[in-house]
Amino acid sequence: MTTLHTTRRIYFVLLAMLLAVPVFCGRSSAENSPLLMELASKTIQITTFYNGTTLEVTGSIPEDADVAIQVSGPKHDVHLKEKGKVAGFLWMNKTDVSLENTPAVYMLYTPAGATKTLTSPELGIGYKALLKDIEISPESEDKTFIFQEYVKLMEKSGVYALNENSITYGTPNKGVKGFAVTLTVPSKMSAGDYTVEAIAVENGKELDRTQENVTLELTGLPKTIASLAYGSPLLFGFMAVFIAIATGLLIGMIFRGGGGAH
Amino acid sequence: MLHMYLPIAGNSVNVFLILGLGGFVGLLSGIFGVGGGFLMTPLLMMFGIPPTVAAASDSNQIVGASTSGTLAHMRLGNVDVPMGIILLVGGVAGGTVGVQVIKLLRAMGNADFLIAITYVLMLGGVGGYMFWESLQGLKKSKNEEVEAVEEETTAPAKKSFLQSLPFQYKFDKSGCEISVLLPLVVGIFVGVLAAIMGVGGGFIMVPVMVYMLRMPMHVVVGTSLFQILFTCINVTVMQSYSNQTVDFVLAVLLLLGSTIGAQVGTAVSKKLKADQLKIMLASLVLLVCVKMMAGLLMTPAIMVALKGGH
Repeated sequence: MTTLHTTRRIYFVLLAMLLAVPVFCGRSSAENSPLLMELASKTIQITTFYNGTTLEVTGSIPEDADVAIQVSGPKHDVHLKEKGKVAGFLWMNKTDVSLENTPAVYMLYTPAGATKTLTSPELGIGYKALLKDIEISPESEDKTFIFQEYVKLMEKSGVYALNENSITYGTPNKGVKGFAVTLTVPSKMSAGDYTVEAIAVENGKELDRTQENVTLELTGLPKTIASLAYGSPLLFGFMAVFIAIATGLLIGMIFRGGGGAH
Repeated sequence: MLHMYLPIAGNSVNVFLILGLGGFVGLLSGIFGVGGGFLMTPLLMMFGIPPTVAAASDSNQIVGASTSGTLAHMRLGNVDVPMGIILLVGGVAGGTVGVQVIKLLRAMGNADFLIAITYVLMLGGVGGYMFWESLQGLKKSKNEEVEAVEEETTAPAKKSFLQSLPFQYKFDKSGCEISVLLPLVVGIFVGVLAAIMGVGGGFIMVPVMVYMLRMPMHVVVGTSLFQILFTCINVTVMQSYSNQTVDFVLAVLLLLGSTIGAQVGTAVSKKLKADQLKIMLASLVLLVCVKMMAGLLMTPAIMVALKGGH
């Protein structure tokens, strides 16, 4: 009897513990208000006169937390030429280097004064954190250095960016504060799927993270041209030449017409 | 400002900026008979167009500008069609050889070094010589107060050898009787260089026609445009077909500017003397040469570049 009783008690205790875990967690996140994020739009259409756009992101986090938003794009292999000195004094594109599994786009948004905490190595946010997924070939090359230079190149074209002080917070209410940020979508960001990820951090530790997808798609004229160029390249080539010649002839005739009118 | 999206380049550009750029390069094309690729490609890259797309779309644009320019020069009697065709045949053959040469060089490594050195030496040599020669010409015509039209200098020592070559043909427009082999070889030479350097070769072809074939400057400009037209048709189709790098929107924007520019350029060219034309082109070539040298000598700000540029 006693043994049965003991077994039962252990059983109940275990059951109670098992039940308590999800209840405890659920209650905890409900109390602290979990990380919430919402995008103003999930698709961005690239039209004929498109020149990049912006995307509003809003959400909420616990009052004492900070949030970082990162936008990252399709991962691909990047083929680069490393510059080096030839004959001792001529700077030239010298060595072939590839960075594999590198995001085409990476933009980080942080609130005022929190960039340093948010990009600390343990959290895995920021350029440095990208490095661990990236592979370099040939392996003899200095990955950190090449990636750092690549980042400079991408920052120049606008697809990599660290936007400090870009997230604004609302006034806290019942332990929760709202955040808002305007994401930049540069025209250089090509059609494809991107993720917008929010990471809530409190006391230097990750609290929660959530992500949404945003799709950039070609529509109208850009779509027609792209599908023709990739779908029937030969026809596209002839068409391009034909239109160029026709324009040349037309302008040529207009000019002669203008000259000979009198 | 009005922007348009370039679906192949994957970027937006300011419409007026590209129209203006096209107009400027078209103007140069009409005046000097060069395609202008050596100026256009780097400028487009500055506006965020990937190098491969910049070069391919530019060749599409040159098709339009050179059609417009050739038409205008034809009316002025400045196009030597037989000469153009022979140069073209040589150019295509040379281009094919050049592509193989570049493959071989790349396999051996250090190809880029050789290309850059060739580029700078060619530009420097050609530009320097043309500048000096036309300066002498300008001085002379000023002193003698001669209405210099087409100055035809002769190289007696060379001529006897050249006259002994077979297949002599009288090129009416160029006003010379030379062996067909000569422009053919010259065409091959320029074709090889153009393929290696990744440019249309107009700025090499023009001096070569002036100094090696001794053609009158104005006929050189017209004939060069005629020849460039066909070279660039070939490049456009090939690039669209094998690499999908021709951005049609970009090309059309450039075209609208450059075809008009080419007409204006031809009119300007008509008003200028041969030596004035030469000295202006020489200055342009020297300027590009200096820019390239600076690029080679200065420590780059960013130590990597996307593959595919010049």
